[in-house]
Amino acid sequence: MDDVPLLEIRHLEKVYDNGFHADKDISFSIPSGKLVGLIGPNGCGKTTMMRCINKMHEPTSGDILIDGKSVLPMTPAQVARLVSNVPAEMTASFGLTVFETVMLGRYPYLQNMWWETEEDETLVIKTLEKFGVAHLQDRPLNMLSSGERQRVLIAKAYVQQPRLMLVDEPTSHLDMKYKLDVMEYLKAMVKQDMTILVAEHDISLMARYCDLCIIMKKGELVVVGDPKKVITEKLIEDVYEVSSSVGLDRDGELYILPKKYIGSDAF
Amino acid sequence: MTKTDGITESLGRFLDGSAATHIAKKKRRMIILFGLAALLITVSIIVGLFVGPTNYRDVDIFETRLPRLLAAIGVGIGLSVAGAAYQAVIRNPLVDPYIMGVSSGAGTLAIAVISFNFTFFGLLSIHSPYTIAVAAIFGGLLAFGCTMALTKKAGGTTNAYVLSGVIVGLIFGAIQTILLVFSGDNVSNSLLWLFGSFKDVTWTHVPFIIIPTAVIAVIILRYSKELNLILLGEDQATQMGLNVKRFNALILIIASILTAFCVAFVGIIGFVGLVVPHLCRMIFGGDHRLVLPASIAMGGFLMVMADLLARMILIGQELPVGAITTLIGVPVFAYLLMKRGKMYNG
Repeated sequence: MDDVPLLEIRHLEKVYDNGFHADKDISFSIPSGKLVGLIGPNGCGKTTMMRCINKMHEPTSGDILIDGKSVLPMTPAQVARLVSNVPAEMTASFGLTVFETVMLGRYPYLQNMWWETEEDETLVIKTLEKFGVAHLQDRPLNMLSSGERQRVLIAKAYVQQPRLMLVDEPTSHLDMKYKLDVMEYLKAMVKQDMTILVAEHDISLMARYCDLCIIMKKGELVVVGDPKKVITEKLIEDVYEVSSSVGLDRDGELYILPKKYIGSDAF
Repeated sequence: MTKTDGITESLGRFLDGSAATHIAKKKRRMIILFGLAALLITVSIIVGLFVGPTNYRDVDIFETRLPRLLAAIGVGIGLSVAGAAYQAVIRNPLVDPYIMGVSSGAGTLAIAVISFNFTFFGLLSIHSPYTIAVAAIFGGLLAFGCTMALTKKAGGTTNAYVLSGVIVGLIFGAIQTILLVFSGDNVSNSLLWLFGSFKDVTWTHVPFIIIPTAVIAVIILRYSKELNLILLGEDQATQMGLNVKRFNALILIIASILTAFCVAFVGIIGFVGLVVPHLCRMIFGGDHRLVLPASIAMGGFLMVMADLLARMILIGQELPVGAITTLIGVPVFAYLLMKRGKMYNG
């Protein structure tokens, strides 16, 4: 059992109807219980890959396996019990409270029942406490700050009890304090039976928190590995066309300081 | 403003009583809702059958007031349920059958029939009540089709739905005005239809209102959980296992058919579809497993009350019920907007 990776992607290709080749022959596998960072410039195919994993898009070719089983023939409801998703931003909604929003995470398990069970409620309450939003449970979702809302969305993805949680740019709207906050929660959540895949632009943050990082460029996989080993000045230059200073701070944490854009159209 | 408004809070305390968990609270609210529904139906029946400008002993209740009561209940339920469904699927609390252009489309074709004695190329009789109904249903669905096509071209966002609906509504409104100018002696009939009235309802109309309302309300009620899920956005709902495209199309089409059937025989009755679901959300919370049954109970009851006012305010003269619902609905909606507007913004 131990040698079956939690997520395995085999020769994933995605070409959109308009001809854009978003993902080119991507193959990698990641084990269970890791916080994995997905890094690359805008348009490198990160989001497309994530949307293929949770069946929002159909891959053009290739296969995606979770616990050794292909997700492609599964129904959306089956996939929803294996993979959950935290969006970068919540589109405007109305009417639901924080509790009701998080409870929707149990939808894939509800089937024909009209109300959720007591067990569902206990799980939701525990999760709200874990993410420090229990005191907000009766508030309308729209009246939270963006940091609070992000935590609620992570809580919703958590009560879905997935094997793999996909998190898309969780900190893009947040200030420094909330950025660290969200990463701490994600780190604390990774258990032996769950892996979290985070797409994020802040490489220093990723290097600090992630067990593994996947680096992509123009639809291709560049490297998969321990961020402290794979992230170098050479790699940043290669992927982002930016010169940088990569080093270790006083606590031995990796930092990446971007300096100058050196691409062909730089001025 | 940190929480919801005061009324919702005190109502919440009353509704929840000693229930400890969220689910127990919802179940308790459901029981109270059933009790309330039973009460409202009883009151509706008494008011609809026995209260009126003439003593009930002097009228044939079975032939006049009973069909009118059933039609009012049916239309009230239909418009409220359709409104709640539109609001959830489009994720915009401001939409209702009016905003979506469906009512305007139905109105325009109905007026074309009334004003010009159009008989669908001789297929239907001028004197048949079905001619207007068929025209209204056809017009409603035509307008709905236009709104959807325009929305799709405009990117399918929540705002695109509303703007497309307004545009389609304006065009049909302009056509209506032109038709009215040329309608000569039929203009008062046309205007009366536009404001909506239960005055001319007979037993022949009742099944055409009650049956579609019952069938479609049950279908929409069955999808209460999915309507909650769709509030999180299309991506989230898709990822949680819902076929969003198919679901949205189904709900929007059946809600439009329901609206068209409702306005077909009694004309346009505004603001019910907008205000009733909001009142229900304010009282029972935003969960559609409560909002929809509450909209059914409140929608039917409020329409009977509006019709009572239409019959009773002036002696010897019926007012159009659509004017009454708008007159009451607008201030209520303005109040909701001021008190709860913030909750509806992203």
